[in-house]
Amino acid sequence: MSTTSLENAAGDASDLAALILRVSAGDEAAFQQIYERTSAKLFGVVLRIVKGRELADEVLQDSYLRIWQNASRYAPDSGRPMTWMIAIARYAAIDVVRKRAHDAGYTPVDPPEPAADPERQIVVQDMLGRCLGRLAAPQLECVVLAYCNGYSREELARHFSAQVPTIKTWLHRALSALRACLEAT
Amino acid sequence: MSDADRSLDSAEYVLGTLGATERAEFERAMEREPRLGDEVRQWEDWLAGLNDVIPAVTPPSQSWANIVRRVRPAAAPSDRPAGITELSSYRRSRARWRVASLALGSLAAGLALFIASEHLRPQAPSYLAVVNRGGDLPALIVEVDMASNTVSIRSVAAETPADKVLQLWYIAGGQAPRSVGLLDRPETRAALPASRTDQLAGATFAVSVEPVGGSTTGAPTGPVVYSGKLFRDR
Repeated sequence: MSTTSLENAAGDASDLAALILRVSAGDEAAFQQIYERTSAKLFGVVLRIVKGRELADEVLQDSYLRIWQNASRYAPDSGRPMTWMIAIARYAAIDVVRKRAHDAGYTPVDPPEPAADPERQIVVQDMLGRCLGRLAAPQLECVVLAYCNGYSREELARHFSAQVPTIKTWLHRALSALRACLEAT
Repeated sequence: MSDADRSLDSAEYVLGTLGATERAEFERAMEREPRLGDEVRQWEDWLAGLNDVIPAVTPPSQSWANIVRRVRPAAAPSDRPAGITELSSYRRSRARWRVASLALGSLAAGLALFIASEHLRPQAPSYLAVVNRGGDLPALIVEVDMASNTVSIRSVAAETPADKVLQLWYIAGGQAPRSVGLLDRPETRAALPASRTDQLAGATFAVSVEPVGGSTTGAPTGPVVYSGKLFRDR
């Protein structure tokens, strides 16, 4: 999102919040509008995590079902509407890949997808970008690969040729440092 | 566990790095402790900027139709026949077909068994939609034979409320449902409402509950109790 679109984004957010309110009353037309405006983003988020269009489609459908069912629980203090919806889709996708790995007793080896050059793209994003930029390189990459690509600790360990406990330590350090930095603003 | 560690659990939950068991445990803890939910929302908000890094991808065209189909029965739960709890579909393999037939042996007793190979020419594309009810028991098996342009529906223990009939609908991507026929016999054959193969791939079949004689409006009037996507069989 560029800075020039911030005003539009704010308008979109209040529109989306109003649509979610209508969905909580069972308004299917409002639900369709939400779908038309958000499904490509949600599908992109899910596809990046589960890899494979068929499974991503199932997860997308489950996500919108949850949005429909939980619309009445959405409140302004639940966060921005897009953040709320993306969180629902991300958790649905992560649940699927974690359960798959758990049930199979192993983590499937996927060719690591190159993260969209983290520094270049994130630097523009205000405080988060500034705080991420203060992290050591592997910690930054851990956070981005986990959030955007849904990497588990085991996948991160393989990616960095490190042990899982090491990854856990990196993640905790990165998240503690991020919290300290973001809370200070 | 210290508060600091707990807060990192919230962060890792949002980041997605907890394992399946830890995720489930954290979600249970979140129900007991509202504070954890607040932390999760805080982390979601903090990390939301990363969402912009992820490119949007247009979802498959039939996704919306499938979502609507899954939303509608929930909107009218009082009209749903008892016992139907779940809608899904799956692609058939020959082996799975045999396994399913064997597993259903006792349930299907007394029903005419529909042998796919009898009328399907090997070279003609065929399509299959299995519409499930709770417990993953196939309740209706919809088979489309492109060679003879017919659709066959085998009903296995389908539950129909008294004074009602089940009606099968065909929905091509983004189009209005078209009636295929009434499911008032264990096995039904009907002419196909689509003529072109490419219209069939990814099409959806849905079954609604209608008054005896079927819908009089040309569109589903009762709740949709089953739906399944059509998959190419070979």
